[in-house]
Amino acid sequence: MKIVGVAACTSGIAHTYIAKEKLIRAGQSLGHEIHIETQGTIGTEDELTAKDIEAADVVVIAADIKVSGRERFKGKKIVDIPTEVAIKSPKGLINKIQEDLGL
Amino acid sequence: MLKKLQLKKHALTGISFMLPLVVASGLLIAIGNLAGGNPAVIKDYKSSYTIWQAAVSLGVFGMGLLPAVMGAAIAYSIADRPGIAPGLLMGMIANAIGAGFLGGMLGGYLSGYFVNFLKKNLKVHKWAQGLMPMMIIPLISSCVIGLLMFFVIGRPIAAVSMALTVFLQTMNSGSKVIFGAIMGAMAAFDFGGPVNKVASLFADGLLMQKIYGPEAIKICASMIPPFGVTLSWLIKKSRYSKSEADNIKIAFPMGICMITEGVIPIAAVDPIRVIFSCSFGAAIGGILIMLLNVGSPVPSGGMFIVPAMTNPIGFLIALGVGSVVTAFLLVVLKKDAKEEVVEEEEEELDLSSIKIN
Repeated sequence: MKIVGVAACTSGIAHTYIAKEKLIRAGQSLGHEIHIETQGTIGTEDELTAKDIEAADVVVIAADIKVSGRERFKGKKIVDIPTEVAIKSPKGLINKIQEDLGL
Repeated sequence: MLKKLQLKKHALTGISFMLPLVVASGLLIAIGNLAGGNPAVIKDYKSSYTIWQAAVSLGVFGMGLLPAVMGAAIAYSIADRPGIAPGLLMGMIANAIGAGFLGGMLGGYLSGYFVNFLKKNLKVHKWAQGLMPMMIIPLISSCVIGLLMFFVIGRPIAAVSMALTVFLQTMNSGSKVIFGAIMGAMAAFDFGGPVNKVASLFADGLLMQKIYGPEAIKICASMIPPFGVTLSWLIKKSRYSKSEADNIKIAFPMGICMITEGVIPIAAVDPIRVIFSCSFGAAIGGILIMLLNVGSPVPSGGMFIVPAMTNPIGFLIALGVGSVVTAFLLVVLKKDAKEEVVEEEEEELDLSSIKIN
């Protein structure tokens, strides 16, 4: 599966990046291709390219707050979750998505 | 219905926009007061003023902007860019009539939902469509919600704000103990998760009413878990495995900066004992903060902002005692760690409600 995603938390300094790390580690260990953009207080980092988004099977938005640039994912399958889910159960989440999509 | 409104997400977006402003303003006031000996806010810009007066005045500007930024960010979160203008204005009204943080939040929600309502239901002719986001929506929403704020809901909220302020300022020591314990335990309970955020929201809101105690509790309770865990490791190393020890070495410097999250890997292995020890220590810390009248005009920054607090020594006492209590409980309650290579553990979460859209 090709996964792209966005992580953003309230204070924008810790959970954002923990969620990103967890998702990437879980995704890679399950053999998926994964790219996560962070929208912290410092601004957007590791921004998703149009090509990444185009190629992705699913978009995971792990955010406690409003994320910017949501219109980029128009027409894509989007999964909205709080950062907590990505931090506590990243593998479970990815497996569930895979199951639901039947990929 | 309530779930669809996503009230919490919008409030958290508001807080995320507000935090940098409140930290900058709070620190400016604190630095100005410390260095300049409580200088007066500049009233007459035509006569001369000192650099410290300038710093304090700038900070006061920032604090006055908080309800406006909160309102604008909530409205933006709900309705995108068209929400910003009415949201800002509602926050200014809230600030002016003394409805403060609560008023700013409510104004933001009302503006946001009303703008969304207009977007959906107000149909204009094609030639006027360009005017919708530029003129029609901002004007109508500011006007309608503004009048509502001025004449209907503003005063009652101002009264509630005032009552809460008075209640917190005049608490007797019995209620102070209970309040401090609950705030402290909540702030430490889930290491920066949703329960912590509720306590945090409450403390940030009171900051705008110039009540600084809860903010100090929040800071103290965020630092007690990493400090307490580190201390317990120093006392009895056998309680932790090698990988946990590595995590503790990261958690401690994070704790100095008031980031509690470093403790999560430790708590994940042994949640009940670790969470109980941390919350209990933080509750003790919270009680001491209230009894010693510690306050913090700045909502985050850890050890670096301790000098800016009222009664910094009291803060260090509360932090120290709370950390020692947590460490003691951990040493007593925890069992020796078994050395084993564990696959990174995952919590069982109910994922069935997650939908793919």
